[in-house]
Amino acid sequence: MFFPQEMTELEIIVPEKDLLPVTNVLARQGVFHQVDSSYLSSHAEGKVGESWKERASAYAALERQIMVTMQALAVEDGNPPSDQATLIKLEAVRPLVEQIEQDVKNTNDVLTSSTKKMEELQNHIRQLLPIADIDIDISLLQNPRYVFSMLGIMPAANLDRLETSLSRIPYVLLPLQKDRENVIVWLTGSQRNADILERAARSAYLNPFELTDIHKGTPSEIIKTLNRNIEDLEKNIETQKARIGQLHATYEHQLQTLLWRVRTSRLLADAMGHYGKLQYTYVVVGWVPSSKLETLAQELKKASANILIDSNPFRRLGMQNQHIPVSLQNPGILGAFQGLVTTYGRPRYEELDPTILMAITFPLLFGAMFGDVGHGLVLALFGLLLASRKVPALRSMSGLGIVVAACGFSATLFGFLYGSIFGYEDVLKAIWIQPIHHIIQILAIAIGGGIVLLSFGFLINIYNAWRARDWARLFFDPNGVAGLTLYWSLLGFAAASFIQSFPVPKLVFMILAIIGGLAVMFSELLKHLVEGHRPLFEGGVGMFLFQSAVELFEKLISFLSNSLSYVRVGAFAVAHAGLSSAFFILAALVGPDKGMGYWVTLVIGNIFIVGFEGLIVGIQTMRLEYYEFFSKFFIGGGMPYAPLTPLPTGEE
Amino acid sequence: MPSGGVSGYAAIHSRVRVMYSGLLSSEEEVGLTEATDLPALVSSLKNTVYGPYLDRIDEKELDDRKVVSQIKHRISDVYLTVIHSAPANTRSLVIQLFRHFEIDNLKAVLRGIANNSSWQQVQDVLFPLGSLNILPAQQMLESGNIEAAIALLSNTPYHETLTFALKRYSDEQSLFPLEVALDLSYWRKLWASVNQLPGQDHAQALRVIGPLVDLNNIMWALRYRVYHRLSEEEVINYTLPFGYKVHDEDIRTIAAGADVGRVVERLYPGVSNLDALLLDPERGLPKLELQLQRRLIAQFKSVFTGYPFNISLPLAFVLLNELELQDLTVLIGAKSTQMPSEKFSSYLLMETNLDKTAIV
Repeated sequence: MFFPQEMTELEIIVPEKDLLPVTNVLARQGVFHQVDSSYLSSHAEGKVGESWKERASAYAALERQIMVTMQALAVEDGNPPSDQATLIKLEAVRPLVEQIEQDVKNTNDVLTSSTKKMEELQNHIRQLLPIADIDIDISLLQNPRYVFSMLGIMPAANLDRLETSLSRIPYVLLPLQKDRENVIVWLTGSQRNADILERAARSAYLNPFELTDIHKGTPSEIIKTLNRNIEDLEKNIETQKARIGQLHATYEHQLQTLLWRVRTSRLLADAMGHYGKLQYTYVVVGWVPSSKLETLAQELKKASANILIDSNPFRRLGMQNQHIPVSLQNPGILGAFQGLVTTYGRPRYEELDPTILMAITFPLLFGAMFGDVGHGLVLALFGLLLASRKVPALRSMSGLGIVVAACGFSATLFGFLYGSIFGYEDVLKAIWIQPIHHIIQILAIAIGGGIVLLSFGFLINIYNAWRARDWARLFFDPNGVAGLTLYWSLLGFAAASFIQSFPVPKLVFMILAIIGGLAVMFSELLKHLVEGHRPLFEGGVGMFLFQSAVELFEKLISFLSNSLSYVRVGAFAVAHAGLSSAFFILAALVGPDKGMGYWVTLVIGNIFIVGFEGLIVGIQTMRLEYYEFFSKFFIGGGMPYAPLTPLPTGEE
Repeated sequence: MPSGGVSGYAAIHSRVRVMYSGLLSSEEEVGLTEATDLPALVSSLKNTVYGPYLDRIDEKELDDRKVVSQIKHRISDVYLTVIHSAPANTRSLVIQLFRHFEIDNLKAVLRGIANNSSWQQVQDVLFPLGSLNILPAQQMLESGNIEAAIALLSNTPYHETLTFALKRYSDEQSLFPLEVALDLSYWRKLWASVNQLPGQDHAQALRVIGPLVDLNNIMWALRYRVYHRLSEEEVINYTLPFGYKVHDEDIRTIAAGADVGRVVERLYPGVSNLDALLLDPERGLPKLELQLQRRLIAQFKSVFTGYPFNISLPLAFVLLNELELQDLTVLIGAKSTQMPSEKFSSYLLMETNLDKTAIV
């Protein structure tokens, strides 16, 4: 819970005949993080690995084919089968997939063409609507003997230019309907000038409407005919949709089974493509959590009597661990907060997993800023609703449900401490303090809390450095012993200056601050000295001193700004009460007699507070966690643990 | 950012003045024309403002396409600097002016689709538009057909224009109507941007954009009439009805079949060897365009001697940069093939070449 799982490196030698059963065990157990060992293959044998990769590609192509068919039938992936994963034969499955695909395609093609035809007819109607009132037979415009006639649409910007281009011949150009971009026009003139009229129309981008045989009668008559045709097409579309429904029912189970079989085969083939191939054996390399090693080894030995397993456990200490996959093990509620941690970064193998700290401090900070029994309970219920996955539209946010609920409960708790319920500050008796009436105190407490959290961040960094055996970082990092000495001595100096009877004299803090300051200032140089890194510093001495002084200054500023940043916790606690009272004033203005308007305003105000202020407080909490707290100790950059599995599921 | 006047233009004026000194001097231009080959040309260019851009090219991989591409990056940066420094009410004009590179990119992508070119081939000729790029160029090319590519432009100002022209593309299977539609739409928008400017900015922007519009419009009319032999109504529909010194009547006169030489002579007195140029339009029209472009350079440079606190100065500056890019592109192409100077010098706009090019 506090650290990633301890991992063991595995090197397995598998006889060729046992390849599939062993791969099956590795995949089924879902604990083996594979490392590509195909580079170990000898040149000739390497082609075997290539052929597995080609098979994986063929499975992937078939998988896509099945998915497209499923999409056409609106069939979901379904659940993976529980039986043992096997490699299916492509030749056996492909004809079946193609037969289903063809069946679906035939129906789908009819549906698509009917839909397209309907859109075409609707388009004809749209073209005719602007001239629906004209009482002439449109078919007369087709192939007239003496008159050139063109009905069409063109860019409005080209209209004037078209008229200019026709100025030397007699013509009539009637704009029938015009908007900012387009204009529907009727262009007519003598058939003798048809060439000129046609060239002018074409070069002005006048796109003529396609008047076909269906365009007989007046525009309104044609529209009626087209509407009847559309009705027929709609019936046909309904029939095809019903057919698709039938196909869905017929093939749903078959497609889902095929999908998972092919998917599993693809994953197995892909895994085997990354094995190293020797003459009669395969070399499989990877990582497994040490706690799962024994079970895995037993299963592997059951699958292959001649298998050789070489294991090498890695302790979670020292620095050279970046290549080891990091598996986090946070059960239940903690799992929800793990997402917030991995969004910032994945801990390294030797690093403390800060999920539990996140699970404590995040709701604590949120609740302190949003303390209100009513609002907190609403938020908690909303969080539980999210987590329950009962509302389909909110399912994508279900991972956040527990976090929201925890924040809600924390806000409820602080609501009791602040004596606040739905913005009413005088209904409950405050157990601790009312922020709106004790503004200075709450701001001071917030900064104090921030200092405690930051100090804790320093201590974790020192602990992490010790685990990594990174002595330079432990002693001389600005967030290590040197930084903590400087930070605490500055705080002590401030305290001794303001508190008359402070037990420790200012001089002690001054000396400690100078020592800490110098260590932070020359942090890089001291680190290089400890690590044996040369040169000790880059560039000239003058530049180095200047740079070090600037870095110290920057660090002092960041100590101050990081500490003061927590003032927002108190400020939001005050603002929450302030915002609530603003809605009470608004409600009183809307409904002075406390009628319907009053209560409606209050309800809207409370929804606004829970939604909008809740979001802002959430963002502020995230900021305090990531930028102020995590940046003190969290390095991150660990490699994700991605165990081999026949099912494409997430890691944690 | 103040909207205009001395305070509005003080910053951009100083910035443009500083950057103006980065334009190639006559000595530098002479040095470039005398370079023996592409590496020598690049070496000379590295001592100019283009140096930091050319340093990005690995000398072992030096070729004309990479050099031109880096030089385009410099022009792009110049434009973006001017756009960001321009007073708010003039910024849309400078952006619209910059958009002609986007039109060129769009045409390059459409041609790439028509010719089945690879993304690599097309990418090499695209102008780097930086943060102002709105074209999904690679997706368009990978769509494989013109209709699908245009559909990908649905959230851009080009969609409507190209959709209208698409029917003609389908009928004629030629990109010509698409490209003409894009050009017309671009210049209309540019003209509208100029006309939206108030007072002094409008008059001064016209001094720079006006001659540019004139040059394009007259060259279109000449090409359509003399080279493509289009009909009167087509020439009219494919040209612009507005201009600075070239008016609609002039374009209509050319379209109607009047003596083209006399019209050009009246509009641009003193063009040398006009009749000879029009006799062989394929080679003559580009040379006529070069002569008119040299006049443009003179007009743009004259802006720097007048009252500076208006938009004409930044506009003239970016356009001078574009003309310099044109010259450098010719030079780079010539030097990469080690073409003798007498074969390419007449295609240069550089002042050092004026005397020679007067004799066409």
